[in-house]
Amino acid sequence: MALERFDKIIIGAGLYGLYSALFCCKRGQHVLVLECDPAPFERATTINQARVHQGYHYPRSLSTALKSAGYFERFCRDYHFCVNQSFEQIYATSAAYSWTDGKQFKAFCDAAGIPCTELHPGRYFKPGMCDGAFLTREYTYDAAILRDHLLEDLSPYRSSVTILYNSMIREIQSLPDGFVLSFEEAGPGSAGKRAASAPFVLNAAYAGVNQVLRLAGFPPFPIKYELCEIILCETGDALRSTGITVMDGPFFSIMPYGKTGLHSLTSVTRTPHEDCHETLPVFSCQNRSGGRCSPESLYNCSLCPAKPESAYPYMSHLARKYMRDEYDFRYKESLYSMKPILTSSEIDDSRPTVIRRNGPGGSFVSVLSGKINTVYDLDEVLE
Amino acid sequence: MDNKETNYVSCVIYVHNAADRVEDFLSFIIRVMEENFLHSEIICVNDASEDDSLSAMKKAAEKAVLTSVSVVNMSWFHGLELAMNAGTDLAIGDFVFEFDSTCADFPPETIMEVYRRSLEGYDIVSASPDVKEKFSSHLFYRIFDRYSTLSTRMTTERFRVLSRRVINRISSMNKSVLYRKALYAASGLKTDNLRYRPVRSAASSTMDANEKNYRSGLAVDSLILFTNVGYRFSMTMTLVMMLISVFVLAYTLITYFTSHPVEGWTTTILFLSVSFFGLFAILTIIIKYLQLLIDMIFKRRRYSFESIEKLTK
Repeated sequence: MALERFDKIIIGAGLYGLYSALFCCKRGQHVLVLECDPAPFERATTINQARVHQGYHYPRSLSTALKSAGYFERFCRDYHFCVNQSFEQIYATSAAYSWTDGKQFKAFCDAAGIPCTELHPGRYFKPGMCDGAFLTREYTYDAAILRDHLLEDLSPYRSSVTILYNSMIREIQSLPDGFVLSFEEAGPGSAGKRAASAPFVLNAAYAGVNQVLRLAGFPPFPIKYELCEIILCETGDALRSTGITVMDGPFFSIMPYGKTGLHSLTSVTRTPHEDCHETLPVFSCQNRSGGRCSPESLYNCSLCPAKPESAYPYMSHLARKYMRDEYDFRYKESLYSMKPILTSSEIDDSRPTVIRRNGPGGSFVSVLSGKINTVYDLDEVLE
Repeated sequence: MDNKETNYVSCVIYVHNAADRVEDFLSFIIRVMEENFLHSEIICVNDASEDDSLSAMKKAAEKAVLTSVSVVNMSWFHGLELAMNAGTDLAIGDFVFEFDSTCADFPPETIMEVYRRSLEGYDIVSASPDVKEKFSSHLFYRIFDRYSTLSTRMTTERFRVLSRRVINRISSMNKSVLYRKALYAASGLKTDNLRYRPVRSAASSTMDANEKNYRSGLAVDSLILFTNVGYRFSMTMTLVMMLISVFVLAYTLITYFTSHPVEGWTTTILFLSVSFFGLFAILTIIIKYLQLLIDMIFKRRRYSFESIEKLTK
């Protein structure tokens, strides 16, 4: 078994992984990216609401709001080609069961310095359902365009970046001067068991972050897991260029899904189908996955035969309870993915990026972030 | 399996210190929902129960496969009306069942009968046990029907189903609902009441002292708010006082001319009778003002229609 040497090994070919790979090879480093799926961007980077956050989502955590507002401008500038800016994003506060009312939301936006124009709730919602409706500036990104762009940016560096798909990491060994990763390539034409070493490892496996930490023998993140469903919908004319988020309580969002022409529909109570408070993800559906998925190695939920039944009946009714009837939509398909949530962020609903360094000289870096535009937090680690 | 209803229905159940019966009741509702509906949700409103109601509900909810069960825990004792509003606000169904108590004296078919009746175009359909009403309830509904302008006759109801239409209409009428039944009746939409033969006699009273106090308070408030009983009463009293004043006036004058009363007696009596009459008249006017204020605040919609029919092509 030959041992290949790299400057950095990156685990996970989502946005965080590929962004890091590009960042490093531009600096002349020799990088290996290991991905367990057959293609990049197959999981959380693609399967989420695709929101480019500007902080509206965190009315109870001003610091998170301020930070995401700062990165928002930069992300929209750097990746403008994949950002859908041509729709009206409406945030509304429900009259019942919301933790935030219209007045508080407005005051919060003013304090965070993010644009927010008050509208008449009756324009979008049935009478009495919402006590505030606001036009905001928030966009969604198109993961497929972003992926193709990153791959194209990486293509001139073919000699310095190696991306290996279908690669399952079996073992991580800590040495005084770095790490040795043994992995196995699945599928036809696989080279079987291989190993690579580098003085620096970036663990950007998102939901798999603790699984990688376990292999390396480092302490896990305090996270819980949610198996989430994102529903893609076709919309009628009224909703086509409108995104609606009824916020801060048991409510819902329906908004353009990047530039696909579809809308994503999610609800706070039903998008998570099942949750798990263990260190490693233990789910009842794993027994039915035909050995594809286990607490030690998560399979792609969207491809899994044991994926849960869609919660569309509930979510569509919830949305229709609020929205006026002309905002029409139809079911297209469901995507599923595993979402890790830092347990410390439940009360103040903040989702900070957490970066943890382990090993000699802190050269085993694990990153966990719930937002796409905080990818820039990686810069300081990779320098 | 294929014959299940495709409408999304919600059940809202009021639970207050019902540990002894809530598990059976919830299991019963879960069974009816899962047998008859493809999509449903059950919302239990736990009105600050101090017993094991919550764990009993959790136990029953474990058996749910298709339907989803959630609990709204009220912060303190709110009473039936406010607590049920909290549950109905959370419900998302096309049709919402409201179970005002965890007393299951009706057979499962009644739930479906009530539901099917609502499909026939009745926005509110309630179910009442076909037994003699309690005297206090009877008295309350008699007074209520007598002094309110609503066309619907009110009666003791075990549960009811509401269409999304009526819920939307209510939410555009006002936010603070004191007495739902009166408000549903005031929505002006089609209403029906089904009577069923109880399968078992309901426990004599499932209410604790807290609930009983709440209900008698509610009865008084509802009568004041939704009927003109206060105004009618003071009006009658004023008329009675007026008659008495006239009588006393006549009596005083007769006494003044026929016998010789003590000096000052005549003026005192005249003053007293006239001022009492005046006082009652002023009170009536004040009550009328209050009544108008209530009408304007709580019954803001100027009219309420049941439907619009097109008679020509």
